[in-house]
Amino acid sequence: MESELSTPIPAIEGVDVSRSFGGVRALHEASFSADFGEVHALVGENGAGKSTMIKILSGVLRPDAGTIRIRGEDVDFRNPHDARALGVGTVFQELTLMPWMTVAENLFLRHEPRGRTRLIRRRELVDRAHDHFEHLGIQGIDPRELPAALTLAQRQVIEVARALLRDPEILFLDEPTSALAEQEAEWLFGLVRSLRARGTAVIFTSHRWSEVANLADRITIFRNGERVDTRDSLTEGEAVTLMTGRTIDRMYPERPALPVGAETVLDVRDLQGEHVNGVSFALRKGEILGIGGLAGQGQRDLFMTLFGARKSSGGEIRVDGRARRIRKPSDAIKLGLGIALVPEDRKTEGLMLPMSVRDNLTLAVLGRVAVYGVLNPGAEHEHVRRAVERLQIRTTRPTVQEVGTLSGGNQQKVLLGRWLLAQSDVLLFYDITRGVDVGTKHDIYELMMELVREGKSLLFYSSETEEVARLCHRVLVMREGRVAAELKGENTDAEAIVAAAVREFAA
Amino acid sequence: MTTGAVATPAPRYRSRSRLQHLTVQSAPLLLALIILAGMVALYVGLFFRQLSRFPGMFEWTSVVNTSMPLVFTAVGQSVVVLTRGLDLSVGGMMDLTNGFAAVHMHAGAGSMLGWSLVVLLIGAAGGAINGVLVAYARLQPILVTLASLSIYQGLAIKVLPEPGGSIPLGYTNILANPNGPTGLVFVGVIIAFWFIFRRTRFGVGVFAIGNDEEAARAHGTPVRMVKIGAYMVSGVFAACGGLFFAATTTAGDATSGDVFILTSIAAVVLGGISFFGGRGSAIGTVAGAFILTLLTNVLFFANIDPLYQSFFQGLFLVVAVLLGTLIRRVVRLR
Amino acid sequence: MSAIVASLTPDRRRILFALGAAVLVFAVGDVVHSGFASPSSVKAILVIASFVGYVAAGQTFVILVGGIDLSVPWVLNGAAILFVTTSVGRDDRAIPAVLLTLGLGVLTGLVNGVGIAYLAVPAVVMTLGMNGIMEGLTLGLSKGLTCNSCAAYAPKAVQDVIQKNVFGIPGDLLLWLGIAVLITFVLSATTYGRRVYAIGNNDTAAFLAGINVRLVIVSLYVLSGVFAALGGIVLVAYGGQATLGMGDPYLFQSIAAAVIGGVAILGGRGHYLGTLAGSVTLVALVSVLLAENMPDWGRDVVYGVVILGILLLYGREKQHV
Repeated sequence: MESELSTPIPAIEGVDVSRSFGGVRALHEASFSADFGEVHALVGENGAGKSTMIKILSGVLRPDAGTIRIRGEDVDFRNPHDARALGVGTVFQELTLMPWMTVAENLFLRHEPRGRTRLIRRRELVDRAHDHFEHLGIQGIDPRELPAALTLAQRQVIEVARALLRDPEILFLDEPTSALAEQEAEWLFGLVRSLRARGTAVIFTSHRWSEVANLADRITIFRNGERVDTRDSLTEGEAVTLMTGRTIDRMYPERPALPVGAETVLDVRDLQGEHVNGVSFALRKGEILGIGGLAGQGQRDLFMTLFGARKSSGGEIRVDGRARRIRKPSDAIKLGLGIALVPEDRKTEGLMLPMSVRDNLTLAVLGRVAVYGVLNPGAEHEHVRRAVERLQIRTTRPTVQEVGTLSGGNQQKVLLGRWLLAQSDVLLFYDITRGVDVGTKHDIYELMMELVREGKSLLFYSSETEEVARLCHRVLVMREGRVAAELKGENTDAEAIVAAAVREFAA
Repeated sequence: MTTGAVATPAPRYRSRSRLQHLTVQSAPLLLALIILAGMVALYVGLFFRQLSRFPGMFEWTSVVNTSMPLVFTAVGQSVVVLTRGLDLSVGGMMDLTNGFAAVHMHAGAGSMLGWSLVVLLIGAAGGAINGVLVAYARLQPILVTLASLSIYQGLAIKVLPEPGGSIPLGYTNILANPNGPTGLVFVGVIIAFWFIFRRTRFGVGVFAIGNDEEAARAHGTPVRMVKIGAYMVSGVFAACGGLFFAATTTAGDATSGDVFILTSIAAVVLGGISFFGGRGSAIGTVAGAFILTLLTNVLFFANIDPLYQSFFQGLFLVVAVLLGTLIRRVVRLR
Repeated sequence: MSAIVASLTPDRRRILFALGAAVLVFAVGDVVHSGFASPSSVKAILVIASFVGYVAAGQTFVILVGGIDLSVPWVLNGAAILFVTTSVGRDDRAIPAVLLTLGLGVLTGLVNGVGIAYLAVPAVVMTLGMNGIMEGLTLGLSKGLTCNSCAAYAPKAVQDVIQKNVFGIPGDLLLWLGIAVLITFVLSATTYGRRVYAIGNNDTAAFLAGINVRLVIVSLYVLSGVFAALGGIVLVAYGGQATLGMGDPYLFQSIAAAVIGGVAILGGRGHYLGTLAGSVTLVALVSVLLAENMPDWGRDVVYGVVILGILLLYGREKQHV
């Protein structure tokens, strides 16, 4: 007979955890706990702190303050290895496979089987890898392959397999299905359910509400670095309200209607390139065109190829009706294109963090603020002032303040400011709201609407499908470097986009 | 290993044969061996054209003995390059150690063995200093080893201000046997070393760091200790190189090691080890060392002015890198 | 005072430290050997420092984008020999010889730059190979420096420009000053300089902002070649003949001067003024030690130890988060 007063000791807890990155608060006295034998979903927007919490609980980061407990006992992880030793397994969103080691070598890294001579038995690596894959029901990944020869989905599967090798009692999965198609995702769900049955604590994050609703026993919502609530169940609407602090209708601004008979500004016909296998679409003036699909289907390659950052091997790009050669970014810029890419974890592909706000802002218009190559401080200052004002960039002295000291949101504004100054008519926005706080996100959405009202056109990709659904006039779903489906009008919502993305298409 | 069978199997993917994997992943090594074969053929051909006979025992012994110093130093360099580092001090270490041996070593097993050990310890110590500065003080390898190169060069001149000293005959007979290519035994030792190295945690750690240092750290690889170990290996092998050099020339010269900086890197690159670390085989480096030594002979028998030797070494180095990059690009695009 | 220092950017602080270190070395040197800080002594040291400074200018340019030029020893040496053999001491041949020699620097820099930027050869490997190539060509073409005109001196006109005093200051130092001002201007106040720093900080972002990264990198290696060649000209113009191996010490010293001056080895930060101060500090330090009758070998050891010391002070990598 169970006493109502006895509550199980949580498998893992973070209590009042705080963590900042260079003055930006990622977590503020946030708490989280998960029990054995449950599947616990951790939801929140990008930048809400869920990834940071997971990294702290798996030993990758150390908290500035707070306690971590496993089975009720305080622990202090110096590195992920310590966490692993205590039974914590993690599959991160950023995959960490060694690119030049085989799948088998990667699987058993630091835990290789050794013989009596204490030397690693290399042949056993492959056999054991086969066994493990078979055990988990993974078919056809050759353990002797290098990761570079595999798709993103396969690599994600291998990471899961690697985490399960150690029989973790606590398993973190950060966006585990972002690259998985339906069949693979089903396999993973089956795995998760059997782990739960065995008593493992499984914590996962996902942007797909259907998964969360399907799998999770409990759901914890994070917002702005704090835990908002933990519930046994809730509707998607309630979740969004808790995640954003606003109702969904007020989160996203009114999308201006597409002017009737708008001309085509960018006409792409059968574009071919690395991982781009024949993409065609027409972008009209004042339109926000969304790009969706599972992760790793060529979206980024499409953006880079359009901008001339990657070589195109076929097809046409027509700007203002004429076919143009875009062989390098400066070609694209001259034609009125601009690109803003999301900052990656360690380095940003847009900003020079040690350089000043001014230097970053004027980088694409240096010709315009100089005379015979000599910079004109007055002209520069004027341009900078305009950008800072328009975007409300919070900076004290833009001429000297290093961009690296700005908050993530302000950094993103600087990046956008660069292309505003360049007066780009077609903007390629790739995951620009990643790692950005809610307030700035809202500002960016408003800015996007302003831009299209002014007659600019946007190509938009986001890892949060909700954004794509809400902000875009049309959505092109990509699969293996091609446009597989087009969704438009009122039927476009996040679920529809995801459904189109995971549907298996005939080869 | 007891997660139990899952209800839904994952989908299938394509797979390739064992031989295909071997060729793809060892392409740079195979290229090095092919170039070596070509170099041998070229040498034999030019020799025959010049002297109307094929190279005999004397010539092959000479090739082996002349190559051994570079073989050792380059293999040591390989380990460092695999961690995405660089050891420019190997030249200075060779200067120092060959001078040391020439000054102190006398006939008699005790002296030869004892001083060899001392020299190896010097190599280990020098390497450890490099390693600590790179790993703990987090200084750039190129700067650290450039500075330590200067230090070791200075010390070398202190030990042996003028070329001279002598190496006992017995020592030369063991390391650089003039009567037969017994030096190949040492090549065998190096191959055995490599075999074992790849199967130790240390070896795997070296490769892991070269692949992705952060990820290696996250996996629990003791990055700092492994790096120190890598530089120590380089130091010890460079010291061996110095000993072999002294044995071959039977005397000491405190500036003779400097040329090995360029040639050790050239041998590493020729052998197919990527300059960015994480992949490659030291066996390729051994081939690379022989290729470079044969190159000198080839130039000689092609009647090219020996003053131009550096020109060809430099050219070879650049061409080798370009070839390597090309091979990798082609292999990736299949 | 400390408030002023604290308010400076880290870059400027490093330049200040480097200058301070130079002053310190002179001061200490004067204590140990009175007369060390006398005008004539300082002048002599500055002249020697200028040789390092020229080569280090080129090195600074390539280091700013995270590269390095290991070919300076034999580009310098080859340039020196080319200069004396084409001018053979004749004033009327002076200008063409200078142009031709600088042209050699352009050529080697071009080859280096193309290999590094367009063919993806790592800078260390490319410039190391180029050093070997230049060594072979120089030795071969000059027949080991035994050719007829190899022992020539620089034309008198050139020697005068470098050695003669203008208002009491040797022409060489005025040249160095002029170059320093020019380089500082280019790096801080032109679009070219802005692009160089952008590439050094984040070459991918610079590429995506429309900068022709590869072309800029080639131009930087060309500059490095030109300055190495200039170093060769000035060295023989200072009254000497070309010798074999005359360029060897300048590799280490040029890199050391830049590092002491606060130029980050991974690129993106640093100014030539720092390198200039670094050159002076380095040469002054060695002069003090030479005055102590330290043997040749000791100088090498001290070089190495000093550099390690400076690196430990401010050459460390950023710690991983």
